[in-house]
Amino acid sequence: MDHSNPPIDRAFYLELAARGLRMPIGTDLAMHEESEPEEVRDNGDALARVIARAARRWGTPLAVPLMDLRLEKLDLMTIAGVPEEERERYHFTAPLEQAALEKLCAEQDGPLCPGSRARDEALARIGAQPDLVPVGMAIGPFSLTTRLMADPITAAAMAGSGVEAEDAEEVKLLWQCLRMAEAAVLRAVRSQMRHGAKAIMICEPAACTAFISPRQLKAGSNLFERLVMEPNLRVKAALEEAGCNLIFHDCGELIDPMVEAFAQRIHPVVLSLGSSHKLWEDARLTPSDVVLYGNLPTKSFYSDGAMPVEEVVRRTQELAEKMKACGHPFILGSECDVLFVAEAQDAIRKKVEAMMTGTAAV
Amino acid sequence: MTQFNELYDAILNGDAKKAHAATQAALDAGAEPMTLIAESMVPAMDEVGRLFEQEEYFVPELLLAGRAMKGAMELLRPRMTASGEKLSTRVVIGTVKGDLHDIGKNIVASMLEGSGFEVIDLGADVPAEKFVAAVEERKPQFVCMSALLTVTMPAMKTTIDALRSAGLRTRVKVLVGGAPVTMQYAQEIGADGYSENASGAVGLVRNLLAGA
Repeated sequence: MDHSNPPIDRAFYLELAARGLRMPIGTDLAMHEESEPEEVRDNGDALARVIARAARRWGTPLAVPLMDLRLEKLDLMTIAGVPEEERERYHFTAPLEQAALEKLCAEQDGPLCPGSRARDEALARIGAQPDLVPVGMAIGPFSLTTRLMADPITAAAMAGSGVEAEDAEEVKLLWQCLRMAEAAVLRAVRSQMRHGAKAIMICEPAACTAFISPRQLKAGSNLFERLVMEPNLRVKAALEEAGCNLIFHDCGELIDPMVEAFAQRIHPVVLSLGSSHKLWEDARLTPSDVVLYGNLPTKSFYSDGAMPVEEVVRRTQELAEKMKACGHPFILGSECDVLFVAEAQDAIRKKVEAMMTGTAAV
Repeated sequence: MTQFNELYDAILNGDAKKAHAATQAALDAGAEPMTLIAESMVPAMDEVGRLFEQEEYFVPELLLAGRAMKGAMELLRPRMTASGEKLSTRVVIGTVKGDLHDIGKNIVASMLEGSGFEVIDLGADVPAEKFVAAVEERKPQFVCMSALLTVTMPAMKTTIDALRSAGLRTRVKVLVGGAPVTMQYAQEIGADGYSENASGAVGLVRNLLAGA
């Protein structure tokens, strides 16, 4: 297959589904086969080799990078002048002055942290390989927002109960962080598109009932719209403008209106959901041109007690059968990225294989 | 006393301003801090936990209630210190080394505090040595550990081993939780208990205190 001419049509993903593709988001597993895995993160050349190896191992043209959802925050913290050793755990504690906020929301030439640069370099290298589709990765605006504050849930809950920015510093900071986060995500996706991304996976695991109360939504709050949908629709518009496909991932707990909003209004080419969902039921909420992806409980694969390989096989078969019966386009895979755990590497590998083959005979 | 009911309602509804006002009014009217905790705050947080279990409340409601309760506690603490009153059970809590996720841990801390326990929050990315030092210095009855990632879960075992090596393991009950953690894993690493959510953690502490 030659994917050198953008954009890739939605039909491409439907075709992958139709031919029964199965794949984990498993680049982290492949990375940990390297002698110095952590060095791969910041090395575009090495990262591209690992991404390509993972894609080819599982027989998919989709070359999915590491789901490293720290990168956009690290880039933002670099702009903010936060010392390197504090960037990952840094939280804004008070509303910013307007000038400082504008600086953090401004356009930048390119990604700033080594991991982001490596991710972009890897995209360019993958793009040169005709059998692979370079897929980008970014955290979603709301999920990044939750990483910029120490207590985002309380601030969101206050906003959801009608507290405005001028009434409470927490709420003011929440909206400021959302603005910064959206700008950071847009910078990241634009940079990845410049480096050849044909599709980008936007990960919004915080857009879920743990952060946004269904009780408040039922009472009429527009919080989900303001915190999640509006910024993500702007990200979608940026991708569409560049002819880049949107893959939307949210492994959090969701209520039906959330799934519906993602499937119908964000309308990604692929919608990836967590293992708490019955995809054959979500199919009713999802347009027929959106491929559903997932959603085996890979977060439990480390434990033979909690998730024996026989249970992985059973769930794999059930999912495959029920998705076939409902007739919705579907790619069988993991509920999230499958992370390497040194103490459980054999158990995880065995279950990923079981997921791929639908049998325990490994 | 109407302020007791007002405080109960304010916590249940997550209204920090009303909780603060009701607490101040109750203190001005001569209420004892421990009575306010026992008769308003703990029952309110119990009801919050019950509504959460019934999926009428969600995590945001838990946190709003916890925030209202904390605001009230800030008014009570100086008076309790002055009169030498102490909460009877102390809990050390933290997210294990390598894990920066602290939201789940914060919810558990908030619920425990609201249920009348003294909570010492060590934060996130807490190394085993820091848990050990906290147990030595603060002498808690419980250590609660959280991890969100499969890759950081092994640090729970490291911490339990460190408590054992320091000769402190039998002094405390160790409870674990977090998205990837299971009862089986808790048993495998030698923890005393596991809960899948915050209100369950409160029940677990109470059961262990009662010797159940």
